[in-house]
Amino acid sequence: MPPPGLAKLRSPRVLGIGSVLLAGGLLAASTLAGGRPEGGARQRPAAADGLRHTTVEVSPGHCGRGWADGRPGTQVFDLHNTSDAAAEVYLTSPRGGAVYGEVEGLGPGTTRHLRVRLGRGAYAFRCLPDDADAVTGPTVRIDGGGRPGPAAAPVTEHDLIPPALDYQRWVAGGLDALAGRTGTLRAAVARGDLAGARDAWLPAHLAYERLGAAYGAFGDADQQINGTTAGLPGGDRDPAFSGFHRLEYGLWHGQSAATLRAPAAALDGAVHKLRDDWAQTRMEPADLGLRAHEILENTLQSELTGRTDYGSGTSLATARANLDGTRAVLTRLRPLLVTRYPGLPHVEAELGRAQRLLDGFREDGRWTPLDDLDRGRRERTDAVLGDLVERLASVATLCDARRTV
Amino acid sequence: MRDMNGVGRRGFLRGAALAGAGFATGGAAPAGTPPPAGEPPLLTGQGPVTGAVPPVPFHGRHQASVLAPPRRVTAYTAFDVTAQNRRELAELMRTLTARARFLTGGGVPEPVGITGPPTDSGLLGPRVPAGGLSVTLAVGAALFDDRFGLHGRAPRRLTPMPAFPDDDLRADWCHGDLSLQLCADDTDTVLHALRDIARHTRGGMQVRWRLDGFTSPPRPSGTPRNLLGFKDGTANPDARAAGEMDRLVWVGAGAGEPDWAVGGSYQVVRLIRMLVEFWDRVSLTEQERMFGRARESGAPLDGDREQDTPDYPADPKGEVIPLDSHIRLANPRTPSTAGQRPLRRAYNYDRGVDSNGNLDMGLLFCCYQRDLARQFETVQRRLAGEPLTDYITPFGGGYFFALPGVRDTTDWYGRALLA
Repeated sequence: MPPPGLAKLRSPRVLGIGSVLLAGGLLAASTLAGGRPEGGARQRPAAADGLRHTTVEVSPGHCGRGWADGRPGTQVFDLHNTSDAAAEVYLTSPRGGAVYGEVEGLGPGTTRHLRVRLGRGAYAFRCLPDDADAVTGPTVRIDGGGRPGPAAAPVTEHDLIPPALDYQRWVAGGLDALAGRTGTLRAAVARGDLAGARDAWLPAHLAYERLGAAYGAFGDADQQINGTTAGLPGGDRDPAFSGFHRLEYGLWHGQSAATLRAPAAALDGAVHKLRDDWAQTRMEPADLGLRAHEILENTLQSELTGRTDYGSGTSLATARANLDGTRAVLTRLRPLLVTRYPGLPHVEAELGRAQRLLDGFREDGRWTPLDDLDRGRRERTDAVLGDLVERLASVATLCDARRTV
Repeated sequence: MRDMNGVGRRGFLRGAALAGAGFATGGAAPAGTPPPAGEPPLLTGQGPVTGAVPPVPFHGRHQASVLAPPRRVTAYTAFDVTAQNRRELAELMRTLTARARFLTGGGVPEPVGITGPPTDSGLLGPRVPAGGLSVTLAVGAALFDDRFGLHGRAPRRLTPMPAFPDDDLRADWCHGDLSLQLCADDTDTVLHALRDIARHTRGGMQVRWRLDGFTSPPRPSGTPRNLLGFKDGTANPDARAAGEMDRLVWVGAGAGEPDWAVGGSYQVVRLIRMLVEFWDRVSLTEQERMFGRARESGAPLDGDREQDTPDYPADPKGEVIPLDSHIRLANPRTPSTAGQRPLRRAYNYDRGVDSNGNLDMGLLFCCYQRDLARQFETVQRRLAGEPLTDYITPFGGGYFFALPGVRDTTDWYGRALLA
């Protein structure tokens, strides 16, 4: 049981250097909080979870201090940063470095909870203070008990640079192809060939969607190229409504070529600008993992609801292009995932299943409009893509860039 | 380098993702045990149990949730199975079992470290409380088509719900391969469970329709009121009388039903819109004559208190309790109609406004019985054209079969049907 008064010392942001040292000494006594309602409840409010809590010190000098008696099972470490800098904390396997759990950005003087399931094995805390080298704490062995919770080796920014560069090159190639297609679309509108423009619209749009432009991947350019009427006070008549969906609206709502000339030119211009800018842009490598699930999250939200259909009825074609975009990300992350994600073969099988399903909605070169799907086919589509995003979410958490040194 | 327990960790069929600590194994106490001597009689109507609720055991011959008194809130969701074959359907059922076992028993969700997002939504805090939730899983007639090789294995009396003469059914609100009813005393408990289950079964089933309901507190006492202002469910059979439940609710052996169905029960769900604005413009006398009960006390019109038994033989022409009143048609209280009573488990619903600005609210009617034709359909036919039909519109629902209980930690929903 911690001595009375410890709770006060642990209060964040009031710790001076002196009290930090004091607290560090006191914290060396690790304790069980469960089953001690009086006193313990006040000092350890989180023990309401009914789990064993162990207070562990996080600091360059005493990383992991406070934990010596390893016990199997689901439990909580109350990680207390006694240093004067924020730190990342991992609970690792000292052999191989797999991470069982992490707390990022543990502020000076603060305590946060790390819940893990431990089993037979060896464990050590690893403290990574901001602007200082990583420190590994003492190894704690657990002899009995069942399997520990899942763990994986951290992916570093260094690991992500090659796949990110390769992905960026692939996007650059795709932007070249896209620029050709928006040029074709622009020319058809310019010469007043609206049937030709409708034919050119879909390949151009899919060329963009294949690049996985979800959730701000292309920044402001995406709003100009592929924005919807969301947020526009004038709706589909708003002068700021531009890009693919502006043209789609016009081409499938009987607007004249004269009306569409400016939007077509603006789209083509925005695409060319994006292509030129892309060469100067450095993609954040850590974003790659996020894209692995965000592209299809966007598909579920915008395409499978029909939200972004402005008349062409090609939501399912877009979904199919987004699947290509997801594959482009996943292919490049694959070398990092094969050793970290046991579910990867299943994800790849499910991607194939989704692809076959969506390909089946194209008959004689024409895509089935979303609303023409009967309930069974629509539910099947939602199920397959819904299942995929559940699984791809793990790719994002595994491929978050983490420090190791 | 790698150290993950991979099988089924996430997504559809996260069946292995049982929570770490502390789910109740529940024991196999059969439901419907008579109350111990001296215990006050259970409120057998719609009364929710308030205060601390003893956990409904998850394991047993029956789904104990069928007989459990209504809770304060419910989410009733019909699903279509998107699993592609029988093996996937069995996997779905195992996953549903594992999640229901955990969610009803409570415990700490499994930590997965950096290998995925949190396994739990966190709505209920770090530990899911035990006993907060009850789960009822049922199967619809559609599950027994040719997709899963179950043709010919359906419960003998399970059909798609027909349209009754006073119905105005909307296809989007009818039927389903599965029905899942979640009941609890707090909305967050129900929503936590629904999100958990949907997340674990994303690839195997999809929501077809969903309606949430609630039980009102007693006003001021007795059976809770429906949204027409009347106490509803006063004359329900006593769910604690095991013999009566065997006669009225549970499918037993030797009834010509498939062996796997023994211990289950036919579930009827009816989504009934109440035209409350119209109703509120009706005189009290007319309202009471339509129901056959006094609005204030819930007493039959020939009685003083809610639990008084109407004496129909003394009122053969219906001068006090009209012959076409709801309670008289629904339950004529004759020896020959006693076996027609289902066990009602209805909830009120409230879901926004209609296109003309009228409030959309009504009754999420649910009842259980061992024989659809003998019980629900017979009563429903008697009620056809009752005066109350001008004020209510059944618009959805379905016939389902509540599966037999999950016997123990190795059993799963529908094992005897699918294995």
